[in-house]
Amino acid sequence: MEALAGAGIGAGLAAIGAGIGIGRLAGSAVEGIARQPEAAGEIRGNMILTAAFVEGVALFAEVVCLLIALG
Amino acid sequence: MGHKNTFKNMFKAALTAAAFFLLLFANTGLRANHAEHCENPDVKPSNEVMHHITDNHNWHIASFPVGKCESGETEYFHLEIPLPWLIYNSEKGIQFFMSSAAHENGYEIAEGELYLLGQAPEEEANHGGPEVLEAIEEAAEEHAGVEVEPHGPTILDFSLTRTSFQMILIGLVLLLIFMAVAKGYKKNEDHAPKGIQSFMEPIVMFVRDDIARVYLGKKADKYTPYLLTLFFFIWFSNLLGLTPFNSNIAGSTSVTIALALITFILILANSTKDFWLHIFWFPGVPVPIKFLMMIVEMIGLIVKPTALAIRLFANITAGHFMVLSLISLIFILGKNGAVPAAGWGTAPVAVAFTTAIFALEMIVAIIQAYVFALLTAVFIGQAMETHDHDHDDHH
Repeated sequence: MEALAGAGIGAGLAAIGAGIGIGRLAGSAVEGIARQPEAAGEIRGNMILTAAFVEGVALFAEVVCLLIALG
Repeated sequence: MGHKNTFKNMFKAALTAAAFFLLLFANTGLRANHAEHCENPDVKPSNEVMHHITDNHNWHIASFPVGKCESGETEYFHLEIPLPWLIYNSEKGIQFFMSSAAHENGYEIAEGELYLLGQAPEEEANHGGPEVLEAIEEAAEEHAGVEVEPHGPTILDFSLTRTSFQMILIGLVLLLIFMAVAKGYKKNEDHAPKGIQSFMEPIVMFVRDDIARVYLGKKADKYTPYLLTLFFFIWFSNLLGLTPFNSNIAGSTSVTIALALITFILILANSTKDFWLHIFWFPGVPVPIKFLMMIVEMIGLIVKPTALAIRLFANITAGHFMVLSLISLIFILGKNGAVPAAGWGTAPVAVAFTTAIFALEMIVAIIQAYVFALLTAVFIGQAMETHDHDHDDHH
């Protein structure tokens, strides 16, 4: 039971982390595009790339939590 | 005229594929085992979800309740497509049969694992909890060093599972589509693309111009075919995974790890002296930091492909988890029919949410294909980069 609670809390914390990371990232990217619309394509590409890295770390945590919950 | 020929060729290819499948199933057809089909009709959401997202030894389509068993449980008819099994048994040699004939050949499946008939662990043993596991581990430790006589034959399982079968299907779909596209280029040379060709061309151009050429520089054209294969394979497998009766192969770690391993091999094959120098002796930093960087960079080398595999697996599995959980909500709140009103009340909400998730998953399908191809290009590009050694002057 404690393990399940831990997995749930861990999954939530990982989601918060990824949320903050991707939120800040997307916010800055949109600001950048608003200032410089001609660079939109380049900024979008970099945004998705970085979002994938941020998400990757969060997914590591989520998979660990899933393994705790199932194992 | 060109259209007519394309369709004729596609029809021929489809006919060949159909003949292939007929051959595969001719000796068994769609039939069900009659034994052991008495089950509790209650839906156990966690079991259902796990059954859907994991690999299987047969292709389960649907189950219909057909009557009552003596034990009071409901009798089910399972509609399944049998898959061919290839098993190496050290006593009986190589065995090849369809999954519907598993019992006759002396095998059974329990919790997704293959066992000799009658040797599958009992239900209780699986839920023995940590105490039982500890007892087993202690016993194993006590007997460490003592040669234990193996009981029963060695079994190696090379069966075509649902995931591998789905991979073949996706390969066929891609082959059909891209053969039509390639024929289009032969036929409409110097003309505007037509039909499916004009749908695929911008996507191919996007992968070449916005992924390969940006990150791979001079060697871009050499790796464009690999990136295109990755992109379309992952995209189509994700899309097909969203349709009924198909399995989500990118939600299987075996598939994603295999894809990431190919990328890892390409990274190693393209690595330059500079790449390894930055790992083992990072230029431009004090010596103690160099040792620290060595550890960090070594971890980074392994983490890159691992993250690729886990990202794809977790994204696709999470999508399927969400869909199945939302649908399971109907059965959880309706208490498996005990509170019908709650079930009926939840159903529209659950279906609406599921539709939204499906729309999201359609986007995730292509984004994950894009990210996988993009990161592969980035990592290969990083590995073959050569730096000017002016770090010391600038930092």
